[in-house]
Amino acid sequence: MSNQQWPAEWRAWAEEVQATFPNATSSLMPFLHRVRSQQGWLTPEALDAAAELLGMTRQHVDSVVSFYTLFRTEPTGARTIHVCRGLSCMMAGADTLMENLEHHLGIAEGQTTSDGAVTLLEAECLAACDLAPACQVNLVYRGPVAPDAFRELLEMPVEEPPALARRAEQSGAQGAKGVADRE
Amino acid sequence: MIQLSIDGREISVPEGTMVVDAAAKLGIEIPVYCYHQALGPLGACRICLVEIEKMPKLQTACTTAVREGMVVHTGGPAVEKGRQGILEFLLINHPLDCPVCDKGGECFLQDYSFWYGSGKNRFEESKIQRQKDYPVSDYILLDQERCVLCQRCIRFLGEYVGEEQLMLEGRGVHTVVSTVEGQPAHSPYAGNVIDLCPVGALLSEPYHFKARPWNIEREETVCSVCPVGCASLVTGRDGHPVRLEGRPQPDLDDYGFLCDHGRFTYDFVNHPARLEQAFLDGKPASASAAVAAVGERLARVVEKSGGGAVAVLTGAVHTVEEEWALAQFARESIGTSRLAVLKPVAGDLPLPLLGTYADLAAATGVLLLGADPYEAVPVMHLKLRAARRAHPVAVWGLGDRVLTRSTLPGEDFVAEPGQVAARLGVVLGGEALDGRWAELRRGLLETERLVVLWDGADPAAAALLAALAGQRGERPTAVLPTHGPRNWLGAVRAGISAEHAAAARILEDAAEGRLEALILLAADPLRDFPDGDLAARALERVPAVYFAGWFAPEPRHALSAMLPTAAWAEVTGTYANMEGRLQVAHGAAAAPGQARPVRSLVTALARAMGHPLRLPDFDPFQDQDGDRIARPAKQPAESAGAPARPALPPGEWRVLTGDMVAVSHPPSEIAERTREPLPLRLHPHDADELGLGAPGGLIEVAQGERRFVAGARRDARIPAGRVFIPRGLADVPANRLDHGAGVKIALADPVREEVAAP
Ligand code: SF4
Ligand code: SF4
Ligand code: FES
Ligand code: FES
Repeated sequence: MSNQQWPAEWRAWAEEVQATFPNATSSLMPFLHRVRSQQGWLTPEALDAAAELLGMTRQHVDSVVSFYTLFRTEPTGARTIHVCRGLSCMMAGADTLMENLEHHLGIAEGQTTSDGAVTLLEAECLAACDLAPACQVNLVYRGPVAPDAFRELLEMPVEEPPALARRAEQSGAQGAKGVADRE
Repeated sequence: MIQLSIDGREISVPEGTMVVDAAAKLGIEIPVYCYHQALGPLGACRICLVEIEKMPKLQTACTTAVREGMVVHTGGPAVEKGRQGILEFLLINHPLDCPVCDKGGECFLQDYSFWYGSGKNRFEESKIQRQKDYPVSDYILLDQERCVLCQRCIRFLGEYVGEEQLMLEGRGVHTVVSTVEGQPAHSPYAGNVIDLCPVGALLSEPYHFKARPWNIEREETVCSVCPVGCASLVTGRDGHPVRLEGRPQPDLDDYGFLCDHGRFTYDFVNHPARLEQAFLDGKPASASAAVAAVGERLARVVEKSGGGAVAVLTGAVHTVEEEWALAQFARESIGTSRLAVLKPVAGDLPLPLLGTYADLAAATGVLLLGADPYEAVPVMHLKLRAARRAHPVAVWGLGDRVLTRSTLPGEDFVAEPGQVAARLGVVLGGEALDGRWAELRRGLLETERLVVLWDGADPAAAALLAALAGQRGERPTAVLPTHGPRNWLGAVRAGISAEHAAAARILEDAAEGRLEALILLAADPLRDFPDGDLAARALERVPAVYFAGWFAPEPRHALSAMLPTAAWAEVTGTYANMEGRLQVAHGAAAAPGQARPVRSLVTALARAMGHPLRLPDFDPFQDQDGDRIARPAKQPAESAGAPARPALPPGEWRVLTGDMVAVSHPPSEIAERTREPLPLRLHPHDADELGLGAPGGLIEVAQGERRFVAGARRDARIPAGRVFIPRGLADVPANRLDHGAGVKIALADPVREEVAAP
């Protein structure tokens, strides 16, 4: 690709996914997943890069991104918690679990703590009803999580998106551990 | 051919035809939302369900290609139940606000609900609320609640036009149509999505809440703004046009797409600048008094010096019938043969070469000779893209600036300013051509069917086009002239000469004092004649100028009389477009004030002159060539060269000019919102050197004593050292500058002062 302004890593990924999926539209999702797991969310630059490096329109990229809830286009915390709001989980107390988390973190569902440590999201059935109430922390399953046991979601060790971890190191902040330590 | 049966009737259609189109051939209508012939199958909405024997489930008629022996049922209980189910889903979150919807009565959601809908809603949950007036562009509103997500709008702009400015956002019931990155759509073809939207989701902002279907008259017309003459429908309410829509013409393979310059300028007929009142010697007068006075004065001139002392120039915007009435008046009542069309370009198309839109659709190679269709004749650009979607078409641009663009890629050959025809001559001469130019020659001579879009600017090109056709021998060559005025071929049909020399002779005679009166029918020589200085001298010298038309030219003190005439949409008549096709346009509005049709004006003038004029009925259709004007037989042609231009002293710029419908459309209050503030164009490097900001700013163009100030935009399609000035621009009249000499360019004073301020 001619455009040199994108990070070398992205350019390498683009070449890699294009080699695996010769159909341009099929290569978009794997590329976006890599960028997302690297930086936690998709910046406008990432969307431009996807369009340009994979040879499609920004219109197409935006449409695909808006279709999937996992592709977030807003700054997202180093620790992203999904609480399932499906039927089984609701019956097992998912709404109380969510409320407890909201109170504890001082944010509402869909928001990120001001230090950028935690993002709290709801999910449709995570296909793990046997673990109800089921959650995901940075996409790692956890369950059953009793409503009162919400702290384990904040304490369980997880891998952070590398870009966020780097940023946390640079700024001297404490990343995902911040919230737990504040207790 | 494939043989199949639909509803018990046999039909055979070409392989690859979709069931929905095969049924249409039998006159059987299958409901569709997402399907459109111009866009091809998608299968998103499922309303077109039909039953096909031996297939277990209902099938979508728009995505199912015909097969030999297929037996299709487009009705029956299963089909009706299927469509009813689809409609029930489509209406789950629909607000059912037809009583306040602009499209109420013109909506396929309503129609199909009447046919198949259940009349009862089983869905009791509250509806999802979305944005009701999302501004898609300056002219278009989107009611997201009414959208059925058929994607016609998105696919039209993205695939057909090639400007991806709309998209689907979200998933499931949360999906909405929105603009890319929240930026308003700015394509000049965006307005078509209003016509394409099968429901009341995409709405015309200027027409919003203006009328209900039972208040209006919706008449067949043709767009009057540029020479493409797109087929359209005009909506009249209470005597005013309030809307223009595209009108598909299936037998011409025309889907009825318009451009926004035409779609949103219909209000020109009610513009404050419109001439609605007669003036005599600068003072308001009643129309009858003004006509009587003008008639008497003309009679006196004719008596004293003969009819030859009077000349008539027409701007060729009235109907063919009216141009014919004018010609009769000139010849019989006045007795003059000085009668011509005023064209903004000096080139004369050899009429035997005049091509058609069908030629364009079938072309294998297209030469843009000086013409940028996107700006000058926008729907031609769409037609070219459509031809390209069907089969490969080579596109070459030969002009003094870049003429292809990202939505119409091709090879560009940029000539020195004023040397376009000379370049073509060299290419046809074929001697000592280097690589690329040799390729161009080979392409032009060898492509199977060639169409040239010619801007008419360089008169020397006319003979070369004839020579090109000659060199191509048996291979068809067709030329489509992109220049105005929009009905010049109609004036030719009415027997008026459209040769540049004819108009030039009239103005020369006037400038030399050989004329005693000049009659202008909607003609503005100062603005439009290629040699603006000659026009100025002519208007100064001729003792009396009588103007009749819609917008009186400046300076008005030079006009002895101004007589208002009825405009487009106010009369029924015929117009000829740039392929010479005669198209009937009906009136849907009332002429304002004292405006009257040209026919009654000239008969009244003749009566006042004392020579009553009897105008028999005139039928513009000649019937020998369908509904196109007759073309004379081809004549052998010789090729000619063009003189080379001297080099410019350093620091001077070459002037380029061309048609831009965004500038030349009639004055419109609606289109004011997208008026181009920076109509001039410069190369970005030149702009940097001048210190012009992005996207542009005010510059001063100077030649000798003349100085003009106007906005200029950066544009990489203009070669360095050249400045593009669209034709007909009031701020910088390109026809008052000597294109052979250079101009000086500087940042305009206000900008300099701003920069200098502390
Ligand atoms: S806005 Fe109209 S044309 Fe566009 S997707 Fe919705 S219903 Fe279809
Ligand atoms: S291309 Fe010309 S005739 Fe057609 S809609 Fe636009 S302005 Fe009108
Ligand atoms: S409902 Fe929560 S995992 Fe299925
Ligand atoms: S028209 Fe056939 S699926 Fe939409």
